[in-house]
Amino acid sequence: MSEQNNGISRRSVLKGAAVGGLGIAAGGSLLAGCGSKDVGPMKWGGRGLEESSVKWHEAVKAAYEKASGNTVTLNMNDANAFQNNLSQYLQGTPDDGFDWMAGYRMQFYADQGLLEDVSSVWDEIGDQFADSYKIASTGSDGKQYFLPTSWYPWGLHYRKSTMTELGLDPENIATWDDFMKMLEATKKKGLIGYALGDKGGWEAMGTFDILNARINGYQFHVDLLAGKEKWTDAKVAEVFKHFEMMIPYMNKNVLDISWEGMRDLLLQKKCGAMLMGSWFSGDFKTLSQADYDDLWIVPFPEINPEHGRDTIDAPIDGLCVAANGENIEGGKELVKWLASKEGMQARLDSGNTFTSANKGQDTSSYDPFQKQQLAVMGEAKYITQFLDRDTRQDFANPVVAPAIQNFLRAPKDINKILESVQAQWDALPAL
Amino acid sequence: MTSTATNTTVRRRRAFSRKDRITLSAFVGIPTAFHILLVWVPAIGTIGLSFTFWSGIHISDIKWAGIENYNNIFTGTPVFWEAIWHNVIWLLWFGLIATPLGILLAYQIDRQIRGHRFYESAFFVPVVLSLAVTGIIWNFMLQPGGFVQGILGRDISNPISFYGNYDINTYVILGIASWRHIGYIMLLYLSGLKSVDPSLKEAAAIDGATEWQTFRKVILPTMKPVNIIIIVITVIDSLRAFDIVYMIYGSGTGWPILGILVFQNISGGGMSMKGAAYAVILFALCIGPMITYLKQSFAEDVK
Repeated sequence: MSEQNNGISRRSVLKGAAVGGLGIAAGGSLLAGCGSKDVGPMKWGGRGLEESSVKWHEAVKAAYEKASGNTVTLNMNDANAFQNNLSQYLQGTPDDGFDWMAGYRMQFYADQGLLEDVSSVWDEIGDQFADSYKIASTGSDGKQYFLPTSWYPWGLHYRKSTMTELGLDPENIATWDDFMKMLEATKKKGLIGYALGDKGGWEAMGTFDILNARINGYQFHVDLLAGKEKWTDAKVAEVFKHFEMMIPYMNKNVLDISWEGMRDLLLQKKCGAMLMGSWFSGDFKTLSQADYDDLWIVPFPEINPEHGRDTIDAPIDGLCVAANGENIEGGKELVKWLASKEGMQARLDSGNTFTSANKGQDTSSYDPFQKQQLAVMGEAKYITQFLDRDTRQDFANPVVAPAIQNFLRAPKDINKILESVQAQWDALPAL
Repeated sequence: MTSTATNTTVRRRRAFSRKDRITLSAFVGIPTAFHILLVWVPAIGTIGLSFTFWSGIHISDIKWAGIENYNNIFTGTPVFWEAIWHNVIWLLWFGLIATPLGILLAYQIDRQIRGHRFYESAFFVPVVLSLAVTGIIWNFMLQPGGFVQGILGRDISNPISFYGNYDINTYVILGIASWRHIGYIMLLYLSGLKSVDPSLKEAAAIDGATEWQTFRKVILPTMKPVNIIIIVITVIDSLRAFDIVYMIYGSGTGWPILGILVFQNISGGGMSMKGAAYAVILFALCIGPMITYLKQSFAEDVK
């Protein structure tokens, strides 16, 4: 793992330094409109070294090679390291097509001219996606730079067998009081009510997002992250008051474990429920089909009736084409196929547990858990991407992450912490 | 007078043939060029960058920021002071506990106490591991579900919080760092001690010096070059600490330290200038004590 990380950073730092800011425009669209399917060998940068992730990447690569006759070189990377090194990667010798995320994180790089305009691909297969996906794929100049492939909900995950043993039915939790009763009942049986990890600093952002959306609504949440509302607002303090009410039901080692630890708590039946993105379900499936069949997801319960359960974090993953890639036309062909109905079908056929972002996808092959993911996302009126994808990058991890960690350490300090968060937002340079 | 001087100059010049001069300038010039290119250019670039606002991508987007980034760090970033505090504790711990322990160990092993070969190899083993590997090993040992937790009969829902409990995690990290540092210092000191002429110690013993007096008045002054190296290593290792913390906490702020802040801000998007400012602060902290100390010791040598 670290070998690969080092490989990327070393290579890209050197090349990135050499290329500097200059070569960006060079990619251009010299070859645009050549229209031929025979576009030569291409490279695909994949994110995620987990077994389940590598498996579907390889299956899809093989399917594309078979369907198109083109040769694809697949380079898999550690997800976090890839994310951290992306700007160096894109300035060096990036793969032609690579796995990335929609929204703010894509727009930033598109604005910098590091991503290739893929509007032409949208012209061809755009009718396979809902309009909201096109918006999420569009850069600030109105052109598309991204093709969505999959999305997943952040919801309450639990094991059906555990809940049955406890005599609880999370599907019928309607209110905050019911939710607290459920946590209490789980705790009484000696289990962790609500598993949480925050060693990485981002995991607990999911809980903050959903509490804020439930209590203050979608608009306030979005405005807060855009700096139009204040962190010192009493509404934000209210969110942390609810967060604090959940702490007694959490594991005592929140800051010791990361998302893998949360997954393992659920896997080993040590906890009742946890809030997490459904992507980890692939690891359950890798372990055993029985564990996967036991996994279930429901939306986080309503807190404020005014907002009900109208919002959910459902990040969209997909693909971009690097402007500095060697084979831009090839990259476009690749992402076009990968995001298309056929490409996503190949991915689903390989046993991947994500749900397709493609409107026309045949969902008849979905297993019950995938159908439930769709139902959970479908219920929500507003979709958010996740805190670290919905706000400035120099704010999310450097400021919000330690603030939530400090809150989990000493909840009584929350007012001081929020004042500091607001002060740090105010001090951010206008970029 | 004049003619002698001229003669000397001429003779000196003649001492180097044309070939010699080419060879010499190549031997001096090429490393110097690389040094300037790979050390000074990036260093000065980083210092320059720390006074700008820049998204880190297009040169044309750079905007002058004056001391704004530093102002932001010193007055608007509480995590910076946490990181500084951790670096200071690290330095104090290494300076007052780990390094003296390493010296003591080296001295005892040099006296060939019973089992000295065993101690020597036991303390030497961690030194061959890189700091990153040290971090990985101890993370596997102490994390929830890790080896030590298993021995203590703690499963992942009920572990001892080694890394997340702020009352103890600083000492856990420092303990891990010392595990390697003590052996490293021991090794350096031991090789120095081996070169001390045993007759000096015998002479001191004949004059009736105690063990402590011998060490302080005879061994320590003889070991001056090694002492300087050890002090330099202790200070620099404490300030640039990064690897172990990164392996355990990742690039997040689980246990902030300056090295992590540099990395966190430079990787990812849009804040490389703040990372550069952290790097400059780190550089200033390292270079200050180093120059002062080296200057002093060289001055004494000249005397």
